[in-house]
Amino acid sequence: MKKRKAFEQLLQELRGLPPDKLADWERRLDLQLSVWEIRNLRGIFYRYHDDQHIGQKRRELYADEHPGVDMKAIRRARLLPVVDSLEGNTLIHPLLTPIIRVNRENDKARAVFTSFGYEGLSIHREPPMAIWSMGYIPGGHIRQNGEWRILYGEWQRTVKADREKGWVHDMQRSNCRPKLTKEEDRKYLGQYAYRKEESRKPVPAYPDENTWEEYPDEMDTAWIHRNLEDRRDDGV
Amino acid sequence: MENEVMQEQAKRVADKILRLEAYTEIQNNMGSCVLSYNYRRPEEVLSFFSSREDATLEIADEGVFRGKDIREAITYLMPSTCEPGELMDIQLASPIIEVAEDLETARAQWVCPGIGALPREGEAPQAIWNWGVIGADFIYEHGSWKIWHFHWFRLMKCDYQKGWVQDTSLENRPNIPVHPLAEESTYHNPYTPYSIRECIPMYPRPYKTWDGEDWMLKKKKE
Repeated sequence: MKKRKAFEQLLQELRGLPPDKLADWERRLDLQLSVWEIRNLRGIFYRYHDDQHIGQKRRELYADEHPGVDMKAIRRARLLPVVDSLEGNTLIHPLLTPIIRVNRENDKARAVFTSFGYEGLSIHREPPMAIWSMGYIPGGHIRQNGEWRILYGEWQRTVKADREKGWVHDMQRSNCRPKLTKEEDRKYLGQYAYRKEESRKPVPAYPDENTWEEYPDEMDTAWIHRNLEDRRDDGV
Repeated sequence: MENEVMQEQAKRVADKILRLEAYTEIQNNMGSCVLSYNYRRPEEVLSFFSSREDATLEIADEGVFRGKDIREAITYLMPSTCEPGELMDIQLASPIIEVAEDLETARAQWVCPGIGALPREGEAPQAIWNWGVIGADFIYEHGSWKIWHFHWFRLMKCDYQKGWVQDTSLENRPNIPVHPLAEESTYHNPYTPYSIRECIPMYPRPYKTWDGEDWMLKKKKE
């Protein structure tokens, strides 16, 4: 196994570099470190998701100083109970397939993750329903006081199905209060969910290497739907 | 003055290179360890662990094994060969990794989807789901990152057909004597229709140097 170079040995080599080369290396390393931090950040967000103790103090992960983030609405939503009690409820959403693009200035980032997860849902203390829950998470991020924070992060459902029935025969609506109608759910998190009578839409698009040139505003979410402009009506 | 600035920059760059290398190696090593577990190769699994006396291994509610007892734990808790029809397939997702500022230790967590097949006498194997969260400390020794403390926090383990709400028969160990070398379990809270989820293991946060903190069992979400 290749041993890591001793710090002093690395330092020796780096001291020999011209200043602009060293600065360029540091810039490139900083972008990689940001990718790491954003993976950590999103990982923590989805650990919180399973822990639904409403009102409990937790580390703020949103960019609460950014004018585009509606912290009032976010804080209000955090205090709303969507289930009567916690027994039997679980939301396990591990993150996979990370695609993360950090801008050149290393202060904004876009990402898409996929999630393959499961849930247990008991709204009024009835025996829980076991649910398969899979989806995509397109999101924006920004540095706030040196630390990466979330600007937005939309859960885009692919599957939310009763475990026994499966995703061909069942689609559960997002658990909200008051309960959502089918149409409301479709406009909310179920817009691009799997339906056996429909063709799949290519949403979210992944952020490609030009994303920050084409959509420079950190709050612009049009990148998520950029593939839809190319779609023909027959769904091909 | 300019030379001082350059010196500082060179130090920062060296640190960042080592930090990123650590991140990759830690992920590679835990991934390799998990594959070795999936393939039922106990000596290979053991090779990823530190041989320190204070190394620990804790799997669900089987108790804590320490130091040289980890070898015994690995042979006790996993088959040493792949029997026909037997399967355990654990995968790593959602890594949260923090490497200490001194680059000597690291804290890591992965959410792990998993499947399995348990052989049964006279019938087809039982297909199961087996999901958990790995909490681990790593230590840099003899040129590589070794697993120092490992804890498998069970999320759910259940019959494939019945699912995690209907079948809780595999969530806890059967009522047989625990291994004589095992110390008391520190935490076990798998999903059942009556359990309440909480954020344990806690996620790791940036830290300067190892201070012995039991970060996995911390309750404060800070």
